[in-house]
Amino acid sequence: MFAYYFKLGLRNLRRNPALTALMVLILAVGVAASVSTLAILHVMSGDPIPGKSDRLFVPFIDNGQPDGYVLGAEPVDMQMAYPDAMNLLRKHPAERATAMFGTGMSIEPPRSDIPAFQAYGLAPTRAFFAMFDVPFLHGQPWTADDEARGANVVILNRTVAEKLFGDANPVGQRLIMNREPFTVVGVLGDWNPMPRYYKLIGSGPATGEEFMIPMATAVRKELTPYGSVNCSQVRDPGYASLLASECTWIQFWFETRSAFERAELQSFLENYAGEQRKLGRLKRNAPIELYDVMAWMEVRKVVGNDTKLSAWLAFGFLILCLVNTVGLLLAKFSARAPEVGIRRALGASRREIFQQFLIETGVIGLAGGLLGLLLAFGALALIGMQSRSMAAMARMDWEMLGLTFAISLCAALVAGLLPTWRACQVTPAIQLKSQ
Amino acid sequence: MEIRPILSALLRNKTGPILVAMQVALSLAILANALHIVNERREVAARPSGLSDEAATFYFSVRNLNQDTPDQMLATIKRELEVLRAVPGVASVAQVSQMPMSQSGGTTSIAADNRQQRESGYAATYFTGDSMVKTLGLKLVEGRDFHPQDIPEVNEQTNAEVPTLVIVTKPLADKLWPGAPAVGKTMYFGTGSSATGAQVIGVVEDLISAHAEIGETGIFSLIMPARQYGNGGAMYAIRSEPGQRDRVMQEAEQALRKSSATPMILRIKTVEDDRKDRYRADTALSWMLVTVSALLLLITCSGIVGMATLWVNQRRKQIGVRRALGARKLDILRYFIVENVMITSAGVVGGVLLGVGLNALLVSRLEMARLPLVYLVAGAIVFWAIGILSAYGPAWRAASISPALATRST
Amino acid sequence: MLRMTNLSKVYRTHMIETHALRGFEIDVKQGEFVTVTGPSGSGKTSFLNIAGLLEEFTSGEYILDGVNVKGLDDAARSRLRNEKLGFIFQGFNLIPDLNLFDNVDVPLRYRGFNARERKGRIEDALAKVGLASRMKHYPAELSGGQQQRVAIARALAGSPKLLLADEPTGNLDTRMARGVMELLEEINAAGTTILMVTHDPELAVRTHRNVHIIDGQVSDLVRHTPSLVDAGAATAGATA
Repeated sequence: MFAYYFKLGLRNLRRNPALTALMVLILAVGVAASVSTLAILHVMSGDPIPGKSDRLFVPFIDNGQPDGYVLGAEPVDMQMAYPDAMNLLRKHPAERATAMFGTGMSIEPPRSDIPAFQAYGLAPTRAFFAMFDVPFLHGQPWTADDEARGANVVILNRTVAEKLFGDANPVGQRLIMNREPFTVVGVLGDWNPMPRYYKLIGSGPATGEEFMIPMATAVRKELTPYGSVNCSQVRDPGYASLLASECTWIQFWFETRSAFERAELQSFLENYAGEQRKLGRLKRNAPIELYDVMAWMEVRKVVGNDTKLSAWLAFGFLILCLVNTVGLLLAKFSARAPEVGIRRALGASRREIFQQFLIETGVIGLAGGLLGLLLAFGALALIGMQSRSMAAMARMDWEMLGLTFAISLCAALVAGLLPTWRACQVTPAIQLKSQ
Repeated sequence: MEIRPILSALLRNKTGPILVAMQVALSLAILANALHIVNERREVAARPSGLSDEAATFYFSVRNLNQDTPDQMLATIKRELEVLRAVPGVASVAQVSQMPMSQSGGTTSIAADNRQQRESGYAATYFTGDSMVKTLGLKLVEGRDFHPQDIPEVNEQTNAEVPTLVIVTKPLADKLWPGAPAVGKTMYFGTGSSATGAQVIGVVEDLISAHAEIGETGIFSLIMPARQYGNGGAMYAIRSEPGQRDRVMQEAEQALRKSSATPMILRIKTVEDDRKDRYRADTALSWMLVTVSALLLLITCSGIVGMATLWVNQRRKQIGVRRALGARKLDILRYFIVENVMITSAGVVGGVLLGVGLNALLVSRLEMARLPLVYLVAGAIVFWAIGILSAYGPAWRAASISPALATRST
Repeated sequence: MLRMTNLSKVYRTHMIETHALRGFEIDVKQGEFVTVTGPSGSGKTSFLNIAGLLEEFTSGEYILDGVNVKGLDDAARSRLRNEKLGFIFQGFNLIPDLNLFDNVDVPLRYRGFNARERKGRIEDALAKVGLASRMKHYPAELSGGQQQRVAIARALAGSPKLLLADEPTGNLDTRMARGVMELLEEINAAGTTILMVTHDPELAVRTHRNVHIIDGQVSDLVRHTPSLVDAGAATAGATA
């Protein structure tokens, strides 16, 4: 019977083409709007490192000025000061830890046909690569020895490596950066976590950092931190005073062996803070916070207000389309009362009528889903025009594809419940008499 | 006007009217809020930057790849300024530390008195080694610009000098010293005993900050005199003669590259592009909201027309009977229009309530602004009009139904 | 009261012409109770529609209560219909979403009476048909006979000069039908002219006179029931 009803449904679509087209179109538009915003939300708020996201933590130690501070007020900056970063790295309270800051260097390519250019990079400590499961195309992270010495070693991202060295393996090759020779020790594979959760403050290029050098090297060369440097007090000029000051410009991550060790880490940090207060720092006496990956993305508002607005809007729009569809279905089905009367007189039960019309609604839902999918692709393309980072996020994966049809089908079926139920209530006798 | 019987008949057949009223309510609520946001974003993106000719202004970020001493770097900067000034078509050049709407720049907290508990606000910190006021074409409304002797040479790596003179923007002056002239007053870089102050020597009408934040911070800016050097590079703002920007940009770049013995990294950006980039997301959101609003109107319209047509068709016999009993065409037309106005009104009332509720949600959860009443009022009027217009077609067709239908035997 | 002279009604569709009425003549005096009979397709419905100003006619003359109907526009005909005529239909044609009070109210609203006048007339009309106690009920709650009586009340509420009834007992059982006929006779006795179209020969004989239509023309003016034999003779003797 399903196939029979399905065929009937298809045939009935053609009966009143204008009304059907309108219904399918409106449903499709509502579905497209919802799916495209959902797709973006899905990418933005999805777990970028499932399996590890509950044991990677960002610590927040508030070292701001006590004047005018109110408990619970939003902090000016959530990065870390250099002294705290170095202390925590040294004390090693968790399985792994890394500190990093963004910076820029000039690169003079070995090939003379490519002019010198300014590149954007990251200066993390060695543990970074293991902590974030960073894939390597060639080579590997620099050694502990390199790090200790602040050696001139660099890891390039795939795009830059190909730009400078073509397809060849550049490990071991030399490169002039900020007028000094650097040795390439590795090339990153394709690594595009969406969002780039490891460095949410003062984010780098949307396509990822172009190079990575040891933080010790960057400090030794007195490279200016790119991104955001926040100084709540006046400090002396010069790099040395930046390192010694309470200015925050470092981003820090801990990795614990399991999620259970979080409490341990928390109490360690609280002890550390207590020690520092005795030394006269951390005057605000603010509570110590630990954020895992998802909480960090939440606190940094990765899913911005505008994106949330779009999602709400799309949802409201879908509801409007739904209500509209109910009305149109009512109209469509009410015109079929004579047919229902005859079918019932010929022996169809109420349940069978219900099935028939619900399946017909389902056919409309599928048609709406198909059209909605096309429209959703268009909508995503439009949204991608907002910015390059948006363009990276505005994509559809198989999950979303399936979701499109699911939403369309469900919406149509929900909308069709009332009209279908009404259609079943038709009394055969009255309908037959009026012929 | 037979309002009571129409209402009574409507209430007996609630489903259709409720569906239409729901659509009107939803659309009105969403539309009012959406258009409010669009207008807000438009206003934000239309804020004046303070520049006299944005289309003719651009800037270079220069990085020299040579191991100069700081003094050599200073000399390079002076030389580069000469080179740039010599390019034909250049109206004015100035060394600057950041550019408006470039989304890259620093801010400082400010206070009228350093004994204050909390700072009065935050302001963008522009440093200039020449006359930024002249190059960007800012409008001085009080006091004066810096004289060359006011501008110290500051080695960023070693010099701890803090600025003693400052030019502020009018909004900032109005906040710190309302109703009084700002020139001569001292402005402090923060609160607390260690916060230093600088004397205000001039006020410009507008200068938007580098990040162009929404709210006060975006329009509070400070210009301080300093020829900064020592970090291996510099930023130069250039205003060309009107309409000649692109040509001057090309020639200036060539001239600058030629003037240096060692290769340099040169980044060029126009203020026009900066404005577009800064507001790209807002503009995109606005377009999306406008598109959705248009679709909302269309869909609601179609819903009303559909329902009205359905009811007319369902009541053909009844309409014939009414005509037989003496109703004129006008009476039938009026019946349907009144019926429709009732339903639309119910929808409008629901929409206003829903709109206020939606806005409260937006304000509390998404940090949006409160909705002014005028949007709801305008929206109500629009939907009333749409309701009447949409119903007109079906109502007209209803009025054309022949009274002879009454005697037909079905 | 109602006089039609040489009336014709032609329906034209594409290339087919149907003459529903041809050279039709009728003269109904004030206070008469006249039935109109005839087989299906004879033109009874067209006659009723034209008499009730529901349709226009092709040629001839129609004078209703001294007013020449020709050339009146739609608004004027509606007005005339509203003021002078009352309708009773075979299918009752009550508006299902309105209660009895509001149903009887419908023609009065188009008349322009004020609220007090309308209320008075409605209550009187419903009382006359014996349904005043059920004013707030809905048509679906009433039997067929009761619904028809409400329809009569609706027709009477405006104090019409002429009542047009289209098979008023067609959908009723014999008992209810008799009740309705008695009511109509009462109304006629009170002074309202009644023109009734009917199939039922038994009803035809109860009235003052009977007009028989065959093929769009009046065939018999005599007050008697046409039998099968006479029908043939009547056709043969059809006059122009």
